[in-house]
Amino acid sequence: MPTITIDGKELTVEKGKTIIQAADEAGIDIPRYCYHPGLSIVGQCRICLVEVEKMPKLQVACYTPVMDGMVVHTQSERARKGRKDVLEFLLVNHPIDCPVCDQAGECFLQDYYMKFGLYDSKMLEDKNKKSKAVPIGKHIVLDSERCILCTRCIRFCDEVSKTNELGIFHRGDHAELLPYPGKTVDNPYSVNVVDICPVGALTEKDFRFRTRVWYLDETNSVCTGCSTGCNIEVHTNKKREYKNEGRRVTRLKPRFNKDVNEYWICDEGRYSFTYVDAADRLGVVMKRVKGELQESTWAEVMPEVLTALQSAKENNKRIAVLGSPKMTNEDLFALKKFASQTLGVSQMPVTVLPKEKPFSDDFLIREDKNPNTKGAGYLGYDTDHKATRKLLDDCASGGVELLIIFHHDLEAGFETELVKSALSGAKTVVFVGSNANTTSARATYILPSCTYVEKEGTFTNFAGRVQKINRAIEPLGDSLPEWTIIRNLSRKIGKALAYFEAEDVFKDLTKNTAAFSGMSYSAIGDGGLVAEENGKLKQGDAKAAAQKTETATA
Amino acid sequence: MSFELTKESKLVIDELLTRYPNKRAAALPVLHVVQKQHGYIPAEAEPLVAEILEVPPVKIREVLMFYTLFLQKEIGKNHLQVCRSVSCWLRGADRIIKQINEKLGIHDGETTSDKQFTLTEVECLGDCEHAPMMQLNDDYIGDLTAEKVDEIIGKKGQ
Ligand code: SF4
Ligand code: SF4
Ligand code: FES
Repeated sequence: MPTITIDGKELTVEKGKTIIQAADEAGIDIPRYCYHPGLSIVGQCRICLVEVEKMPKLQVACYTPVMDGMVVHTQSERARKGRKDVLEFLLVNHPIDCPVCDQAGECFLQDYYMKFGLYDSKMLEDKNKKSKAVPIGKHIVLDSERCILCTRCIRFCDEVSKTNELGIFHRGDHAELLPYPGKTVDNPYSVNVVDICPVGALTEKDFRFRTRVWYLDETNSVCTGCSTGCNIEVHTNKKREYKNEGRRVTRLKPRFNKDVNEYWICDEGRYSFTYVDAADRLGVVMKRVKGELQESTWAEVMPEVLTALQSAKENNKRIAVLGSPKMTNEDLFALKKFASQTLGVSQMPVTVLPKEKPFSDDFLIREDKNPNTKGAGYLGYDTDHKATRKLLDDCASGGVELLIIFHHDLEAGFETELVKSALSGAKTVVFVGSNANTTSARATYILPSCTYVEKEGTFTNFAGRVQKINRAIEPLGDSLPEWTIIRNLSRKIGKALAYFEAEDVFKDLTKNTAAFSGMSYSAIGDGGLVAEENGKLKQGDAKAAAQKTETATA
Repeated sequence: MSFELTKESKLVIDELLTRYPNKRAAALPVLHVVQKQHGYIPAEAEPLVAEILEVPPVKIREVLMFYTLFLQKEIGKNHLQVCRSVSCWLRGADRIIKQINEKLGIHDGETTSDKQFTLTEVECLGDCEHAPMMQLNDDYIGDLTAEKVDEIIGKKGQ
């Protein structure tokens, strides 16, 4: 393996790597526009110039392979001057509309100008005008004047989504990035091009003019759109809530995890958070009075639910529980423990398969649109759709006195007739969930629960990777995490569950479930953990190569 | 409108493809074959060429929009490409252009209504020793004078 020196630091680097890759691994930041670790290398923008001893000209760090004995200077006078000149060229026709550009604050042009540029423009001529605010897809808007022709977006469409929508047409200062005539950028992963565009040329329709990025807070989380569990950042705007138009989550961004989603997320997942503040979101406890659902309080409803549970138990009537693969491992564990210890429930179905097969592909998007079916399986739930049907049949034939349903919209997976007779067959139906649906509309009680951005916990993705979600915003209204609701019930009936935080549940769970044994929140970290067959734990690789520039010191 | 390759074009393309390490590398000569057959490269030909070269259509469009030698619109039978770069300009290219403007009533990029002539002002064609010069279809004509231009237009315009 070649040994090289970058800025006085001696490094041993794998053969075939380029200077920028070696630098990224060593935490030395070299500026880049066209280079992206998830795409092929083109050496197009020249902003990554570095000085290499014994080479007469400055070299592009992204394209120059390391060689034994190479001595690289990234901060020398010459290298910095080279980059400054490149930047000046890139900005020749740039409109500099930062005040109205969504990218401002996370723009590589701004960042590098402040680091290497700081020159006065020499442009006396008029700048070239190109098209602005052109919608090029359902979610994407193009501003050609801001584009620096780095081709990242083109390479994404060629190499990752493999849909080939974009190209650069014409040449010289007339060159313009555009979709192929008649095409739009509407592939299932389209918005990733907005993420990787280093400037404000590609912006997201949904985010346009919504907020300035420096008002956003970032919370690490996991996408709940399907069972892949792509790693994400939840961006929330707590500093200017009055600007949110009732929407607390501003946007989701992919978060690197080499073992799950690399740098990407799908569009469906990216916009899957909208239920958090949707019109059907449940934020108040409700109970049925004279056939109508009415607003109520925990203080009023909890004793009633407890009485119903108690009386079913005393009269030896059957209590049934339908969990949900949308619940965290913690929720599911607490529920299972409570249901088996206290309610005498042994069958625990969770799955409702939608009537139509949902879209999936061989990249990230999976058919199972739930984040935690695998976890439910590990925790002893029956993940067969048929088990749920059996439970509904039992309810319909009057065999169940009290039914507790988490989240499900039963009509999404079963005939309306069956659902109706099942829900009217049980004397009491308790619905625990975050959003209203046709099932909650038929419940006796509605207990509002938190969404994944309002609580802490873990999901187990399809491959058995246990990943952590964190609270980004406060729970809406009366809503509580499911495990808290269960714990509160357990305090009054049967054996109290001694949990104060999600982590307490997790600790208990790891002691009692083989698939989680030896895990802890701190070990799960940002990359997640998989229990391997040999009993070892394997950590995910979430350490992305320097993508952002904030960390670098100029 | 649909575009089809003639049998002859197909044969030429098949032969061309054997000369390159991969199909994609034959993009320029293949596009020239299309242009030769059709006079210009219609949008309908892009997916066709793309299929032959086994690349997405957008890559073909990138190439043909980069090179000014590839035409995307129908032009006149005679393409007058007059150089307007330094040497020719110093030796009176602007007068030649003006003469054509007046005589044929067309300006840069325009075609006569009888589809006989198209005028394009171009940058240096590398024939400075014969400045002012123009390219008439595939041929260079240098040391242009007003008489020579009249003669060209007269001869070709018949
Ligand atoms: S792309 Fe960057 S530099 Fe250009 S207008 Fe937007 S924020 Fe400013
Ligand atoms: S739109 Fe953005 S990503 Fe695409 S070429 Fe232009 S600057 Fe690069
Ligand atoms: S990052 Fe190296 S040339 Fe663009």
